[in-house]
Amino acid sequence: MLDPQQRSGHYGAEISLQSRPMTTQEMTPAIAAGQWEEALAIVALHRDKSAYAELFRYFAPRLRAFGIKMFGNEQQAMEMVQDTMLNVWQKAALFDASRGCASTWIFTIARNVRFDMLRKKQSRKDDISADDLWADGDYPEQEDNQSQQWDVHLVAEKVAPHFHALPPAQRLVMEKVYLDELSHQEVSEQLGIPLGTVKSRIRLALDRLREAIDGPRS
Amino acid sequence: MAHVVKYHPSISLLEQYSEGTLAPELCLIVAAHLDFCPHCQTLHRDIEADLGCELAMQKAPVVDGSQWEQMLDQILSAEPVAREELSKQHSLHSADNKSGRVSELLVGAHRFTVPRSLQRIVAKRNKWLTLGGIATAKLPGSEENHLSLLCIETDTEVPLHTHKGLEVTLVLAGEMVDEMGHYAAGDLIINTPDHTHTPKNISAEPCLCLSVLTAPLEFKQGLTRLLNPLQRFFY
Ligand SMILES: [Zn+2]
Repeated sequence: MLDPQQRSGHYGAEISLQSRPMTTQEMTPAIAAGQWEEALAIVALHRDKSAYAELFRYFAPRLRAFGIKMFGNEQQAMEMVQDTMLNVWQKAALFDASRGCASTWIFTIARNVRFDMLRKKQSRKDDISADDLWADGDYPEQEDNQSQQWDVHLVAEKVAPHFHALPPAQRLVMEKVYLDELSHQEVSEQLGIPLGTVKSRIRLALDRLREAIDGPRS
Repeated sequence: MAHVVKYHPSISLLEQYSEGTLAPELCLIVAAHLDFCPHCQTLHRDIEADLGCELAMQKAPVVDGSQWEQMLDQILSAEPVAREELSKQHSLHSADNKSGRVSELLVGAHRFTVPRSLQRIVAKRNKWLTLGGIATAKLPGSEENHLSLLCIETDTEVPLHTHKGLEVTLVLAGEMVDEMGHYAAGDLIINTPDHTHTPKNISAEPCLCLSVLTAPLEFKQGLTRLLNPLQRFFY
């Protein structure tokens, strides 16, 4: 599990963009302090190679692990990493921090690259491509949905049996908010994940609990 | 859009869509649902944020340094894409008159608006075949999953039919009813093999639908995971 002390240490940390040699050490995961969003902005503005190198060193090995999980083989995984990270280099100007964090943007690029790789292999990319399926960034921003705001405390008894069925990451956030009564900001700091992700996980968990209790949304 | 969508994909179906692990034809029908449904757009974005965070919070495995340095050098030597070029590419998403896309569809005398996600594939439709008050046009699909458009005239019933896989239908325009509900634009209807139904158009306007018929066995294992609880209840 994550060590909260270690996490919160990243808060307010200076962004280090100096080039340093590629290590074979594990890099400590850290995404909450906003440094990757800033790195992308610097790449977009100045085509800054050292800012890009930092991004690359952090995300490329993680994309590789993700790719191996998705493709089941190293070769295609590495092809996906290269294509994804090339997109990050060339299209950094398209990243819009107001729509989500850097890791989300990079994830969506990798997903789309992977999808189009699989379609191309079947010579079917012309029929359905990632561009058709994911209009990311094109939808207008939504207001927080009022119907989502039901009070978990009021239905605790009904909710309890479904809590354990939540995905672990969502359950953890829900426990911190509803059992430990931490603020969203405090949860973000403790877990070292962006505030937006805390809110996303709560919304998803609530919808999931609602689905379990009420049946479909209506 | 004034109409409020009532029938949505389950969260697990949305998750598979957001991951890109769902069959492409089913991804497409979920994408078209999202074109109508702000609620699922928000959930989809939440799932993406969740998955992005998971990607970034993984512990990176030990890798061979020189292999990465080589890839990094190769990427950095690539020409940057010009800003104007990027914004042009980006705006193509919503551009109407990009070649190979149609934003309007004419079926007989009826004119329909085509949602963003379907504009490319609808341009590739086969000829309309008409039988009674029902017109269908095949879209390019895979061997396993058949994709088609269906236009049901006023006062027309779709003949009772069976299918060996899932039948997933999205209402694109107009309204229809079956034994279980009343559906309008954006509503997603999922029927299992055990489950026969008779959709009817009893409204004054024609009803346009997108339909996916999946292969018989594809979802045998994860079947219930694809369905929202209402359907699970009937199943
Ligand atoms: Zn929906």
